[in-house]
Amino acid sequence: MSDLTIGFIGNPNSGKTTLFNAFTGANLKVANWPGVTVEKVEGSMKWQGMDIHLVDLPGTYSLTSYTMEETVARNFILSDEVDVMINVIDAGALERGLYLTLQLLELNKPVIIALNMMDIVEKRGMEIDMHRFPEMLGVPVIPVSARKRRGLDILIHAAYHHKDNERDPIIHEHKTISKHIHDHHEEYAMVYSDKIEDKIDEVIEALRVRYPDIKNLRWTAIKELEDDPDIRSHYPLDLPSVLDRSYESDIINEKYDFIDEVIEEVMIHKERQDIFTERVDKILTNKYLGIPIFLCIMAIVFFLTFTVGDFIKAYLELGIDHLSDLITSLLVAVDAGAVVTSLVIDGIVAGVGTIITFLPNILILFVCLALLEDSGYMARVAYIMEGVMSKLGLSGKAFIPMLLGFGCTVPAIMASRSLEDRRDRLKVMLVTPFMSCNARLTIYILFAEMFFKDKAMITAYSMYLIGILVAIIVSFIIHVLDRKKTKNYLLIELPEYKMPDMHTVAIYVFEKVKDYLEKAGTTIFLATIIIWFILNFGFGGLVSDMSESFGADIGKLLVPIFTPIGLGFWQVVVALIAGISAKEVVVSSMAILFGVVNASSDAGMEMFTESLSMIGFGAINAFALMVFCLLYVPCAATLATIYKESGSLRYTVICAIFELFVAWIVTFIIYQIGMLI
Amino acid sequence: MFLKDAKIQKTYIVIKMDLPFDLLRRLEALGMTKGAKIEVVYRKGKGILIIKLRGTRFALGKNITSGIEVKEASDE
Repeated sequence: MSDLTIGFIGNPNSGKTTLFNAFTGANLKVANWPGVTVEKVEGSMKWQGMDIHLVDLPGTYSLTSYTMEETVARNFILSDEVDVMINVIDAGALERGLYLTLQLLELNKPVIIALNMMDIVEKRGMEIDMHRFPEMLGVPVIPVSARKRRGLDILIHAAYHHKDNERDPIIHEHKTISKHIHDHHEEYAMVYSDKIEDKIDEVIEALRVRYPDIKNLRWTAIKELEDDPDIRSHYPLDLPSVLDRSYESDIINEKYDFIDEVIEEVMIHKERQDIFTERVDKILTNKYLGIPIFLCIMAIVFFLTFTVGDFIKAYLELGIDHLSDLITSLLVAVDAGAVVTSLVIDGIVAGVGTIITFLPNILILFVCLALLEDSGYMARVAYIMEGVMSKLGLSGKAFIPMLLGFGCTVPAIMASRSLEDRRDRLKVMLVTPFMSCNARLTIYILFAEMFFKDKAMITAYSMYLIGILVAIIVSFIIHVLDRKKTKNYLLIELPEYKMPDMHTVAIYVFEKVKDYLEKAGTTIFLATIIIWFILNFGFGGLVSDMSESFGADIGKLLVPIFTPIGLGFWQVVVALIAGISAKEVVVSSMAILFGVVNASSDAGMEMFTESLSMIGFGAINAFALMVFCLLYVPCAATLATIYKESGSLRYTVICAIFELFVAWIVTFIIYQIGMLI
Repeated sequence: MFLKDAKIQKTYIVIKMDLPFDLLRRLEALGMTKGAKIEVVYRKGKGILIIKLRGTRFALGKNITSGIEVKEASDE
């Protein structure tokens, strides 16, 4: 049981997560809110001997009940679970942030404002009157810098002391004096026009009589006037003269009018706000340069992934070699026997070890994606790609999950949650697996370096392009065939550019690397043992020649299907089947099949290439293998995620079969053309 | 006129919006209400816009900008 529960709320891009991470570090628990697919992030910290429980609410602009995120946030704030709310506002986007604040204040829970990114605002020459600001809102305002970890202690201190205190004195100095019979200016920061206030009073009276248990009458009355579906159904009222229409637009406009008033009083040199962003956007979102620049950025990302990644990888390979030698001598020393030695060295070390050596490449790719996201560039990609995407019947926003698919398909599928339309989401879930993830990168690195030597990088890059191309063609065909023709609506905030926060990037990358290693330790570990078993055992027990094993039998059975696409080798077929558990397993299985320890080292590759050419597997076959791996059935984790997110087993099965079909067709075309050249 | 035909660096005022209900609610929550001021920052294609609304930049697709009726702010 914690002593204090603090909820964090703020707009998307307000730095809320950075601030949350600054308090909790990597000490996070990520789950879903009960019953909905909205992420719930919780953490804990110690402060002056107290256990403080922190909850990061989904980023939101308002607290209506139209989206799942907003409903989750609103219900949580209204519940008794939380003692005090910290409202994170980006000082550079005060206007937008304050709109949420005003709604939060109406909920009547203790609120503290964390005015984030103050350092950036000051750098630009803007100033905020920290005396007048809290006076106008009636709650404490604490300047913080989540990136530089400034003001954090004061913030928690303020939250602790404010938890039982709903409101500080409010000092309004409005230009016009209210003639309303109830002057609410001392009670509430947000006071509406007399017309609205009259209506609020009337609704409050009606609510008081009909629903005496309502704690927050004013908020409920405002929601009745806004025609909030949730409140209207819970507390129906028969007041046709007062609730004659929805007053939502009026209420929103009046809130923004008050915000204008606040900004005018507290913000000095407002005009300096976003000169920098404007300059950068002029180039990055230019209608001619936008797409070429984006392609260049992605090319740099992959260049770094390969060159720097390979450099570090070489050292890891040395380590794995030593480890392998050490384990071998250890096993010999304890007289472990041939079967156990084979299982450990040819199975586990060859399989899992190979996967681990790719860690540097993957680490760099994730760092790059995190930097793009945190700097604010990722949102621009939606705008840049809107023209192309709308021709495919998708919104530019759908490109973001697809782009994240370059990292890992699982979070990419989850990111499709940001799309409002279900049909859109299903379409994105179908084509996202075509975007080449880091697991498939391991396959390209190995086979491209073995068969294409100095053209390895361009070969691997071509896989990414083929993936994008297939995703585009598939989307286009669906769009043409789709009779219902849903319209897509791109609406996305473009945050101001900022230096990425290294701490946030580090936590993001750490989480991904942990997942990767966990996968290497569990799924891949298990897969390598199974593969080792079916390759070393046959109907007659332990076999000395793998071609007599169970695996070979299964592979040989399927060879005719794979021959037209250049993959008619039983070893390859077995590796491909195994690869459904996780795509990296294609590499580890091949390593086991050909008995190569440390396949990604120079010596390992040489041996590998030799064994492959002995069975007639050349460069064209390697290319076909890469293409097939890029496109065929997504890995088990992705399938599970598609099932979870779509809620339909039928759809998941259709996805898997469809992708297998596409993979076969595309590989067939490429292989046959390759043979002709 | 509609927002899709708006010119760069001009400011417009929202007169009417003809868009699906859910989307309308979302836009309103972001401050896109009748009477709200919209500054057009960049545009491309047949109405893909970057706008500034109540201090924040947004990218809007053509299907949205063609459903928002506006007038130039200086027309007032």
